[in-house]
Amino acid sequence: MPRAIRGVLIECEPAIKSIIVHLDSANNDIIIEDLDESHLVVKENMVHLLKQKLEDRLKETYRPEEPLADSE
Amino acid sequence: MSVGTQSYQLSDYLEKLPGTTFRKLYQQPSTAFAIFRRMLPPLAKIFVQALLYAPSPLLLKQLDVWVKAEGKAQRDRALSILRSLHIVSISVGKDKPQEVHLTTNFQNSLRLALEGGGSHGSFGVPSTLPVDPTIDIPYLDRYARKKWEDILHYVVNSVGVHGDGGSGGSGAGPKASVKDLLLAGRLVERRPDTKGGIAITQAGFTFLLQEANAQVWTLLLLWLEAVDRSATASGMDSIDMLSFLFMLASLELGRAYDTSALTEPRRNMLPSLVDFGLIYIPRDPRQYFPTRLATTLTSTASALRSVSSAFAAATAAAPTDATALGGAAPAPAVGTESRGSIIVETNYRVYAYTSSPLQIAVLALFCQLNMRFAGMVTGRLTRDSIRRAISYGITADQIISYLAAHAHDQMARTAATVGRPVLPPTVVDQIRLWQLENERMRTTPGFLFKDFDTYDEYQALSSYAEEIGVLEWKNDKKGMFFVSKYEQLRDFLKSRKSSK
Repeated sequence: MPRAIRGVLIECEPAIKSIIVHLDSANNDIIIEDLDESHLVVKENMVHLLKQKLEDRLKETYRPEEPLADSE
Repeated sequence: MSVGTQSYQLSDYLEKLPGTTFRKLYQQPSTAFAIFRRMLPPLAKIFVQALLYAPSPLLLKQLDVWVKAEGKAQRDRALSILRSLHIVSISVGKDKPQEVHLTTNFQNSLRLALEGGGSHGSFGVPSTLPVDPTIDIPYLDRYARKKWEDILHYVVNSVGVHGDGGSGGSGAGPKASVKDLLLAGRLVERRPDTKGGIAITQAGFTFLLQEANAQVWTLLLLWLEAVDRSATASGMDSIDMLSFLFMLASLELGRAYDTSALTEPRRNMLPSLVDFGLIYIPRDPRQYFPTRLATTLTSTASALRSVSSAFAAATAAAPTDATALGGAAPAPAVGTESRGSIIVETNYRVYAYTSSPLQIAVLALFCQLNMRFAGMVTGRLTRDSIRRAISYGITADQIISYLAAHAHDQMARTAATVGRPVLPPTVVDQIRLWQLENERMRTTPGFLFKDFDTYDEYQALSSYAEEIGVLEWKNDKKGMFFVSKYEQLRDFLKSRKSSK
């Protein structure tokens, strides 16, 4: 008998996926099923938190390269 | 934007109407004439003219005389438009060749419109009372412009992020009824976290980028739909309203018309039309004046260019890029209208030679404005400013096409001489990349199916899911798939079980 599990499918780049896997490794409370290198199923109630955490993580690693300050 | 874009909106609305509505609409010569003038492509007009005085139905293939051999697609399009607007009816006989004729009401009304017979008053009754000489065309233009800019300001200011940009010149803002319309049409939405409690939507931004005429129709159609929803309460009839709008469109600018010649429901529409700036009512309410916003409703001439000079004129100034906005450029603005005014440099700096609070406010939606001088503002496109715009629902493409359409003449000229795009490619790419950054993952709620007993069972269910269009992801090896809905699959499984 097949099982149907409620969740949210996430499609993203492999790099982003590895961050999500890393975030999940702390408590194993996000991912339901790791599908392939660009797809995951996560718990519905964790999506919002996940987006936030991802944003924070990206801020650490990504310094937006702004043009030089204005000197008009 | 272009004529094409505006017509689509109106035609979308018209297409939804039933045939009986059209029969009623076409009782008015002004309506039949307006539809003929405004909604039909040239070939369809030729067909109508051929049929107008035909004593008996023509054979459908006789129309082919006007169609070149390679124009079959246009012919089919013209006929389908004519049919969807209930202007022609085409007989369906299996053994007889197909015949085509104009619908009776349309034929009679259009004949009347052309020949001027009848006492229908369909084209308005001019007022016989003395007219205040101060109410001339420039006065009416100023009045309409003020009214319309108030509405646009309300939409722009709903963002509430800009500094000194959009605060000037808006006056008291539009009436509450207009605000409700904008809300109902989701051009703005209530958002408690913003300054004014409302925020612009993506539709609102598209609205701002339209030409004045298209904007007017957008608002009017919202109004008609609102009336449709509350038809019993207001006692207004959207069909009669629409035909009144077509009548207004046929009036002459700068002339006074007799209010008492209007029916009661139409007189009740006047206050709303005043709010939109389509008509002006002087102190003596027995007269009303149509403004340019009203008289250009069904023509292809541009309405009140300067109302949205910040938008429309510049669209005309950069015809090559106007196509990116969805159609051919409208006829160039007359005389001294402001042309494109924005310069974008490769270092993301933006200079806009404008003092229009409206344009400055629009720029502030996606630009970080730094300085304001007389007749000029400077700013910069930054990652944050673009991301903020995207969080309002504005897309990168909308920003790019806005900048391209409003690029300064100098930019357009330089680009043309060296054969490069108007905007610096680095900036365009970066804006797109900034948008992509925000879309790092695509989420789809749904259900994961796994642990199938047999591969056959997996195969049957997953291919059924694919058939009904709910399948989002599958992997044959793992025997898993993800669907957005599961109700139908559950029923499918049950029936499969029971059939065994």
